[in-house]
Amino acid sequence: MRIKSKWLAILLTLGLVLAACSPSGDEGTETTEGSTATTQGSTETTEGMTDTTEGAMDIATDVGVDLDAGTITIGYLTDQTGAFSPLVTQINAGIEAYWADINANGGIHGLQVQLDFADTAYDGEKHVQLFNEKKDEVVAFGHSVGSPQTVAITPGLQEQGMLAIPLTWYSGWSDPAYNSNVVPHGEPYCIEAMNIIEYMVDASGIDSPTIAIASIPGDYGLDASAGAKLAAEALGLDIVYDGAGKIIPGDTTSYIDVGNAIAEANPDIVYHTGIPWLGWPEVYSQAVITNGLEAMWSGAAPSWGPNYVAEDSGIRDEITRDFYWATVAKPWGGDSEGNTAVRDVMTAAGAAPSDFYAEGFVESQIMYQALNIAYENGDMTQAGVLAAAKSIEAVDYMGLAPSDDYVGEPNDTVQRVGYVMRPDPTSETGSMLVQPDYTSPTAAAYEFNEACYQLAG
Amino acid sequence: MRGRPLLFISYESDQALLNTGTKKLMMFLFLSLLVVIPFFAPGSIGEQGSLPGPDFLAGGDWLRLLSTVGIYAIGALGLNILTGLAGQISLGNAFFMGLGAYTAAVLGSPEGALWGLGLPMWIWLPGAGIVAALVGIFIAPTATRVRGLYLAIVTLGLVFIGEYLWRNLDFITGGSQSGRSHPAFAFRLWKEETPLIDFSKDGTWFGVLNMSSEAKTYLLILGLTILFVLLAKNLQRTRSGRAFMSIRDRDIAAEIMGVDEFKYKTTAFALSSFFAGISGALLASLVGRTIPETWNLFLSVEFIAIILIGGVGVVSGTILGTIFVILLPRLVQDFTEWMEGVVNSGHGVLASIFDVFISTGPNDFGLVNTSAGVAPGLGIDQLNLVIYGLLIVVFLIFEPLGLYGIWLRIRNYWKSWPFTY
Repeated sequence: MRIKSKWLAILLTLGLVLAACSPSGDEGTETTEGSTATTQGSTETTEGMTDTTEGAMDIATDVGVDLDAGTITIGYLTDQTGAFSPLVTQINAGIEAYWADINANGGIHGLQVQLDFADTAYDGEKHVQLFNEKKDEVVAFGHSVGSPQTVAITPGLQEQGMLAIPLTWYSGWSDPAYNSNVVPHGEPYCIEAMNIIEYMVDASGIDSPTIAIASIPGDYGLDASAGAKLAAEALGLDIVYDGAGKIIPGDTTSYIDVGNAIAEANPDIVYHTGIPWLGWPEVYSQAVITNGLEAMWSGAAPSWGPNYVAEDSGIRDEITRDFYWATVAKPWGGDSEGNTAVRDVMTAAGAAPSDFYAEGFVESQIMYQALNIAYENGDMTQAGVLAAAKSIEAVDYMGLAPSDDYVGEPNDTVQRVGYVMRPDPTSETGSMLVQPDYTSPTAAAYEFNEACYQLAG
Repeated sequence: MRGRPLLFISYESDQALLNTGTKKLMMFLFLSLLVVIPFFAPGSIGEQGSLPGPDFLAGGDWLRLLSTVGIYAIGALGLNILTGLAGQISLGNAFFMGLGAYTAAVLGSPEGALWGLGLPMWIWLPGAGIVAALVGIFIAPTATRVRGLYLAIVTLGLVFIGEYLWRNLDFITGGSQSGRSHPAFAFRLWKEETPLIDFSKDGTWFGVLNMSSEAKTYLLILGLTILFVLLAKNLQRTRSGRAFMSIRDRDIAAEIMGVDEFKYKTTAFALSSFFAGISGALLASLVGRTIPETWNLFLSVEFIAIILIGGVGVVSGTILGTIFVILLPRLVQDFTEWMEGVVNSGHGVLASIFDVFISTGPNDFGLVNTSAGVAPGLGIDQLNLVIYGLLIVVFLIFEPLGLYGIWLRIRNYWKSWPFTY
């Protein structure tokens, strides 16, 4: 035993020494490339194009852009193993396929785009550590998952003078107090709540329906709940139960309590925001299956899980009857030029149909435009890319999503358009689009000057 | 006593912190190395400069990681006093760290939407330790009533009570999943606008030597860590330290010999909580913004792992354990990414060997994928968890003394080399 453990110790030590000797600063090794076939095929193009790039114009660079090698590196502070990983990994698949396609078609003025995914596991401390690790390796962050996490890196982004695209729809991203270094896209949670609640009120045919509001704590749940309360006030709905922030992810008792409380209040409409893999179906089941509540039911976008309409989900019939939600981009089956691109590229990459790829394309499209503008301005530094993104007055999503504007006043630029969706067990992705480009009168009239829910301190 | 370093002719020299010439020399070299590291990190001095140093130190993220090691070491030393020295198993470290962090936030953050008094760092940092220690004293009486697993359960309860409190005291913590900002590292005499030293921004120390914020923070944490190591190390040589060990080895025997069990268990709890409070305050400030969920059971388990892997009851083991547990994930990540680079380059024998481990795309099977999580195989974070769990099991079975035990064996081997013993 003694000898064995000695060898083990030596092996461990050797392993550590080896690992320590690995060149951590080697940027080329830290990158992930998209679909292998396309990327490898395009390598030659890169080399061919490099000369043109250098010859064409004088371009300023600092971090993450290597004109000699002909590469641009974009970082992603993503969630591959944390609370939102089932959703984010699908968005990432969209991102990878998008850039593989761009690279295969010549990249950004001949520069090939490399993606550097860093897994934060939705953990704040890790997020900040990875931000600090990657900020001197990438030109900008293609997304940063989670609002408290993204708020935590904001001072760092400001100090570094670089851009991040938030993969969260916290309404603060349209508020000048938070958005110095980020460009948001899609309707924020609170506006989304206004839209979908008014849509349901219209669809219900009831004169003055009652509403129950429940959510998980934090920017996501509370921003959505704040929007639901604003909508209830504007439409004169009676809030029969207010469970904003009362569902604690991981705490089963809270699921049951909130589910029972909703059923007891017997509302006509429920606005319930949570995590599709952590408590959302439990609360719904408790109210609807166990207590037999019949109500129109909704929740901010990431509350929806396509697995709800699977045969073995146990809530398929009820959720198909009750549920409404809104998305920020047109789903898989959409008719826009952007949707065709998503379907073509994803099918070619061998991916199964999903509504979430569109989000990957939408955020990549912002980055694509920012990089192109930065190139044309001759400034591909981190600050140059940030300035380029902040100068966009209309992002061209090819019809995949309503265009975003990063120049005007918050009240003019905050996104108020969404897509109303319903479950459909017969469709490829479990969903169907019932109302494209929808803005409710409540959302349209809402004066947006600051975040609906203020992150404290 | 040249040539006979192990011959001690006085109690003082036998008990000295560094009792041999070799230890003194090694410690001097080790400390010098730690102090000079930031001066060799590219970009840490002035605008871009530094002494010539390795590229991987550039950008300051390694300095930040080393600062994290220092902060965790302080917390682990605290747990080591309680568990390693006094033998009281505690899972409550995360609770006391959270307490320290929020005390610091209330004392040090400017007034705003959340409670904040805007006091300087020389108040909020010790304050974090003191409040945690006071609560530790309050908890300690339970430790004299229960021991072993039962104490573990009591302290486990603390973590859950803490989580509940942090979630609901939203005027202090900012509330679940939202969190609050913590005071930055800056030295002020009182509430003046411009701090004397601002560790959180690039700039000079008192107008001399312009250094990056990471380098300054690293040096601050290094200083604090050395201070706490000395405290912990000295504690072992005091009356209290010996009392702790006697309680650990057999509490009833200790009491019969006249060791006041209540007094010393309370002292151990207070000291341990003080260390944890300081560590929590520093960690929160380094991260900048924390959510109440940060101070959860997993954090406590991480500290248990540190002292188990490092070596229970030994200060140097605790430091080794911290370095190991904090740096391992990063080393695994860098190593995997390096392997991926080799595989992608597609040349040589190494590439084909590594290809077995690395999954580079949706159709390439392998143990680990560094890609967006769409390829088969474990993510790096998951791989780290697996390694982490395996190591705890392996150390518990094969080397209960932890890394310190391994070091002892290596040392003894070379001491008697070329003879086996």
